[in-house]
Order: sequence, then C-alpha cells, then structure tokens
Amino acid sequence: MTSLVTARNVSKHYGPVRAVDNVSFDIEKGRIMGLFGPNGAGKTTLLKGLLGLTDCDGELSVLGLDPFRRRKELMRNICFIADVAVLPRWIKVTQLLDFIEATHPNFSRSHAEELLGKTKVRRDAKVRELSKGMVTQLHLSIITAIDARLLVLDEPTLGLDIIFRKEFYFNLLNDYFDGERTILITTHQVEEIENLLTDIMFINDGKLLLNTSMDSLPDIFVELATTGENADRARGLAPIYERDVFGKKVMTFEGVDREKLHGLGEAHTPSVADLFVAKVKGAAA
Amino acid sequence: MIPNQLALMRREVWEHRSLYVTPAVVGLIMVLTLLTAFVFASGYQEIVDIGIVGAQNLAGDTHRRAAVMAVLLGNTAPFLLAGAILTVFYSLDSLYAERKNKSILFWRSLPITDAETVISKLLTSLLVIPLIAFVVIVVTHLLILAMTGVFVSVKGGSSMFLIWKSAPLLDVWAGLLVITVMLPIWFSPFIGWFLFVSAWTKRSPLLTAFLPLMLVPTLEYWVLRTHLIWDAILSRFQQLPLLKGIDAEAFFDEKEFIASADAVSLIAHIDLGKFFTSPAMWAGVVVTGLFVTAAIYVRRYRDES
Repeated sequence: MTSLVTARNVSKHYGPVRAVDNVSFDIEKGRIMGLFGPNGAGKTTLLKGLLGLTDCDGELSVLGLDPFRRRKELMRNICFIADVAVLPRWIKVTQLLDFIEATHPNFSRSHAEELLGKTKVRRDAKVRELSKGMVTQLHLSIITAIDARLLVLDEPTLGLDIIFRKEFYFNLLNDYFDGERTILITTHQVEEIENLLTDIMFINDGKLLLNTSMDSLPDIFVELATTGENADRARGLAPIYERDVFGKKVMTFEGVDREKLHGLGEAHTPSVADLFVAKVKGAAA
Repeated sequence: MIPNQLALMRREVWEHRSLYVTPAVVGLIMVLTLLTAFVFASGYQEIVDIGIVGAQNLAGDTHRRAAVMAVLLGNTAPFLLAGAILTVFYSLDSLYAERKNKSILFWRSLPITDAETVISKLLTSLLVIPLIAFVVIVVTHLLILAMTGVFVSVKGGSSMFLIWKSAPLLDVWAGLLVITVMLPIWFSPFIGWFLFVSAWTKRSPLLTAFLPLMLVPTLEYWVLRTHLIWDAILSRFQQLPLLKGIDAEAFFDEKEFIASADAVSLIAHIDLGKFFTSPAMWAGVVVTGLFVTAAIYVRRYRDES
C-alpha cells in the first residue's frame, strides 16, 4: 500500500493551547477516511495542516510533499471544499470556470460543464444569486472535474437540506470516487456518511482517540444491551462507556472478545455515532 | 507564472468593476460638460464668431497647437486624479475583501502561490489601472476633439484646419502613456504600504493606512525632533523626477507667446533618463518591494483560527 498522507508526531500550538497534540497516522490511496471530533477538537487545524494552510510541528507529508512549504505543487493534486472556504460571491459561473481553466493544470472544463449540465446552475449567474445548495453543486462539479488525487471535505454539506445532502454524497461516490482517488471527510452528520467510509479517525482535545478501518470495527468494538445482574457482570469486563436506553444498560467494549460477552445480553457492533460518543465521553471519564 | 498573472489580473478586473467604471464615468462627465458648454455658447453667436475668426487668422500654427494641447492636457488631469483615488481604494481592498468575504481559502485551494496573488494585485495597481485609464483618456480626447470639430464646423469654421491639423495627438498620447505608467511606479511605496495594510489589518484598512502616515511623522518629531519621514512623504509629491523643468522664458517674452513648434510637445518635456537614474525612484522601488514582501508573508503565514 502507498501512503498518500503520512503524519508523525504532528502538533500545532496556539499559545498555550494545543490544537493538535502529537498526532500520527497514515491515509492510504483509494480510501475514504472520516475524521470526527467535537467542535474545537482540532479537526480543522489538522486539515489546515494537511492543506498547507498552517505550519505544524512534527513530520507531515502529503503526496510526498511538505504541505506548507510546497502548497502550490500540492494544490495541483489536492482539492478541498470547506465550509470556511466559500466561493467568492461576486464571481459569475463562467468567470469561475475560465479562471480555474487558466490556472489549474488538471482541470477539465468540458467535464465540469457536463456535470453542471445536470444541475440548475445557470452559467451566467453570479454565485450570490445561487442558493446554498446550488453553490455546493457548483463547487463539487468543479472539484470533480479536477483530476486530483486527494479530496478534503470539511463539513461540505453544512446548512444544506437533506435532499441536497443525499445528492451530494451520491454524486461524490458516482462522479468523483473511482478507487484511485482518496477522500478525507469531516462532518457532524456522521450517520449520513458512515456507510461510505472505509476508515475512521476520532480526534478530541487535539489527540487521536481512534484510527481504524471500518472493516475491523466489529473485531474491536462491541456494544452490549443488558440489564440487572448481567449488567454488573458485564461491567466487570471494563466497558469504555455506559449509557441508559429505555431502562437497559448499553455498554461499549473495546478489545473484549465477543465470546466473553456471550449470554450477557444483546451484542452488536456500535454505529460510528455511538462509538464516537463512547470514545469521547469514555476518554473524558 | 505569466499565464497565471494574466488570469489573476483579469480576475481583479472582474471583481473590481470600478477599475473601468471610474475612468468611464470621468470621461462621460467631461464629454457631457463640454456638450453643455457648447449648447450654452450657442447663445452668444458673436463671441463664438470672434473666437473662430481669431483662431483662424491671427494665431499661428504653434499657437493653435499649444491651445489644443492645453485643452487635451487639461482634460487629462481629472483622470489622473481619479486614477490615484481609485488606486488607493483598490489596493486597500484587494487583500482585505477576500478575507472579509471568506473566499481566501477558496483562492488558496488553487495551485497559485501567495506571492503570485499579491504580485498580481501590485501589477493591477501599477499597470492595469493606468492602462485602462490611458485607453479611456484617448477615447475622451477623440470625443472632445470630434465634438469641438462639429461645433466649429457648424459655426462656420474649418474643423480640419483648427482642430485636427493642430492637434499633436501622437505626441500627447505617447507622453501621457509614459506619464500614466511612470507615475504609479514613482508613487509605488504608497501602493506597497496599502497592499501590506490590506493584507494585515483586521478592520478599517483606510484608517489603518492613513493614521500612521500622520502619527509616525508626528511621533518622530516629538521624540527625535527630526522630520525625515515627513520629508520623505512630502518629497514624493514635490519632486517627481520625470519632467524637465519648464523654462517660462522659452514660451513667453514680455507679452507674446514665442515658443517654437518643437517646444510645444509633451514628449520633449519628459526625461526618462532622469527618472531611471533617480536615487529617490529606486529607493521607492526598494521600499515597495519590502512592503509587498511583507504582504506576501502575512497572507501566507496568517492563521485566522
């Protein structure tokens, strides 16, 4: 496997605040990695580091390049959509396409036109005249038409209604993702994307809480719904987190053999959202 | 690098429509003012007749040439003033607006360096604004002369003789092209400062740019009892090393206009050699470079979070 992204002991301090604290991970080619964390956990800082927008300590390599020092080269092969990186409102759609065509060596104008043809985005409209959903469609069409190796999405569907959100991810998988490209995505709407992901990372207080493939989740994590005496016995196996659901105790276990939990209640693999809560709250406890 | 620069400068014109709207409005106002003047003047037939007859018979070629040239240059001054104001506002806005409207991260998601972006804004101030203004100046000159020609013809004069043959158009335009391009270079330390403020300030670029221009010299005088900074700022406005001094005696003796045809020339009064060997000009270029480098540095290293 080839690593597209390699991070070793990456940190970023803002004064005394450690936004990213000694984080190490790899992202392999062809994966769809979900990065989750509460607000202020360091997600955006980490993404900025990957995109060369901020200088981090430690060793960070994206597509074999130091992102901060070689941002221009990097940006030929990386695209990103971030809620904070909005399209300029004064620009016309045609001007935007003209500009990117003139400055981006990997941009296919005809591909972008084709993708925009499927939307209601008017070519002569200014961005300010488009709805938020249409702006996102425009942005996704543009980056899909860029032959990039890594796509970074930071809350790409924030503020969109459910129809646009579903369509966004549908188009992302159908038009953009081809197994060669790699996606790194962060969002709070975990449920909506969990079935597209191949890998997940959790980050909290700048530290990496989890970094694993979706395939290996069932081997590592078990969620057990149980009551009464069984609950006490299960507690003996050191769940990382426990919550009450309709009178039942729901416990999350990490690295505990499913065999040991056999007979103690209903065992299943936790959803990413539940696992996220378990890891964040469990770590805080 | 160069294709990127062209695309970036085109982008600036798209974003800042004032770059061409402002000179166009100035030109329009001048054309309309002249039109009004002609309508007004039509009510005073005798005076107009005397003027035309006088111009045709009494004045020599050189006199006519000087008169038309004075009209053309006089009509150019408002463009230079408007261009200067436009440059101030443009350069102050150019690196501030993209942060304020949050599009900066989008622009930085494209394979363009911060240096390329900042330099494109400098070049827009140094080249795009002056060249657009120059084109509008030329068009306005032609309109003014054409309108005056029609007026003179209608009033019984020869527009060909009085206007077109007398107008030193190429000389004036060549001279103005040099001036419109060289003036921004001479004033570029201010442009560099404005770009830096635009990249750096969190609020009110106009105030942030102009307050130090007054406060710092005042502070210098209080503390050091010197006024070096103030002198440096003032000398930019007083000692443009581009024009040869005008010797009034070559134009007028006690009461007559005596200039030779060669002297009635804009080009003849421009001294590029003096400009390019002026230590003050080069010192200004260095200061501009420092400010622009600082602006690039700020855009690259600033982390808004």
